[in-house]
Amino acid sequence: MVSRVRAELRKLLGLPTAWVGLVLGTLTAPAIVLLNAPYTRRAIAAGTLTDTSDLGLRDLGVGLIGPMVLGVIAVSSEYTSTSQHAPGARQLTATLTAVPDRLRLLVAKTAALVLVVAAQAAVAATATLGLTQVLHGDHVPAPAPARVAGAILYWTLTALLAYAITLITRNGIVPLTLLVINSTVVSVSYLLTKITDLASYLPDIVGAQMFIRDADFPVEIAPLTAGLVMTAWVAVLLAIGAVLFQRRDA
Amino acid sequence: MITVDRVSKTRSRTRILHDVTFEARPGRVTGFLGPNGAGKTSTLRILLGLDRPESGAALICGRPYRKLDRPLTTIGALLDGSGAHRARTARAHLRWVAASNGLPDSRADEVLEIVGLTGDARKRAGRFSLGMSRRLGLATALLGDPEVLVLDEPVNGLDPVGIRWMREFLRNSAAQGRTVLLSSHLMSELAEIADDVIVIDKGRIVARGSLAEVTGDHRTLEDAFFALTATEAVRPW
Repeated sequence: MVSRVRAELRKLLGLPTAWVGLVLGTLTAPAIVLLNAPYTRRAIAAGTLTDTSDLGLRDLGVGLIGPMVLGVIAVSSEYTSTSQHAPGARQLTATLTAVPDRLRLLVAKTAALVLVVAAQAAVAATATLGLTQVLHGDHVPAPAPARVAGAILYWTLTALLAYAITLITRNGIVPLTLLVINSTVVSVSYLLTKITDLASYLPDIVGAQMFIRDADFPVEIAPLTAGLVMTAWVAVLLAIGAVLFQRRDA
Repeated sequence: MITVDRVSKTRSRTRILHDVTFEARPGRVTGFLGPNGAGKTSTLRILLGLDRPESGAALICGRPYRKLDRPLTTIGALLDGSGAHRARTARAHLRWVAASNGLPDSRADEVLEIVGLTGDARKRAGRFSLGMSRRLGLATALLGDPEVLVLDEPVNGLDPVGIRWMREFLRNSAAQGRTVLLSSHLMSELAEIADDVIVIDKGRIVARGSLAEVTGDHRTLEDAFFALTATEAVRPW
């Protein structure tokens, strides 16, 4: 088990794209805090910022591109063609000949992803919240540990969501495009909440309620419930992905 | 020892393998011969646990591939391509594969030396020529010093020096008591190295036995092949 997880860690961290995800995901949120500092100061001074305990935690959202990239490429790298000489050849062949028990393989792969993303989330959260304290310390309460843990869990579950979707699609381009657009350009899930309250239970919307309080969520959901709902989404998608992975020919 | 027992497979409603049955024994090079599309790769993929048979079983040393723990120490496989992600260096690829089977990092450099790629250890797999990819694939197969080798068209893309090297390597492996199973559509090449020959055509085994048995009264293995598969040696021009 340990050797398989080690192999999966090496595989993931040996990909240049993984490092793009790691660097982008870790640095974007602290950078936004820095860039927004003058605006935030004015807002605090003017009294328009009501709940300052969300500061920093809210900025963490932009870093989610990191876990999304990591979750997608952990799977899609198995399916990309390895060379122009052999268009059908993929890394998956090497992976499955080395670890033929597919369930064990998925457990190791998932564990490696969780380790990497949880570590990244911890670093990003520490940097973002630490910077927020340094810049606006007088006005911002120290973040509650439970909310920080919620944010780290949100990052990890987001990575697993991307990972599970890619297990189903076996191609990274579609899930990555959809997920990144949804989290940056136009949040389709957020727009849906304007139409139906049910959309509040979509994974990305509900998950944010684990650690963000003061946003215009149409339905207020307790952090614990929010965590459980998002976990359920991830569990169901992972189960579908795992069953397909077991059944399909490689 | 490899045992393939009545393996059948259907893909897109077409039966591509019909009760394929054969053995590959230790200490011998077994050639798996057939035209393109005859079912060689499909059979090997089932043997390696990559694809599932519809019925029948393929066993390595008595066990299905999926039940092997640390399979690389029992069997090494070379399929199409090297199996290395384009962005990875040869050494990085070999090291993760080694790690997955609890093998030490030092094995990566050892197998690179065996296949003559020491100087390219830090080169990315995406920049490898076809011949180099094959060597890297073989290096991966050798990581666990396995007693069984399965190779799909191993000489494809190799230059004459590489072909000769591969031939000697496989002969030596068999001489050391290993089971060597290789597929090819190159009959003269197979006649050079195989002790035993299995001929597959349209998903059915049409002949199996020693090279001499399969060749029979025919002048060459090639003549025997065309007689067995009842394919006319049509002039393509």
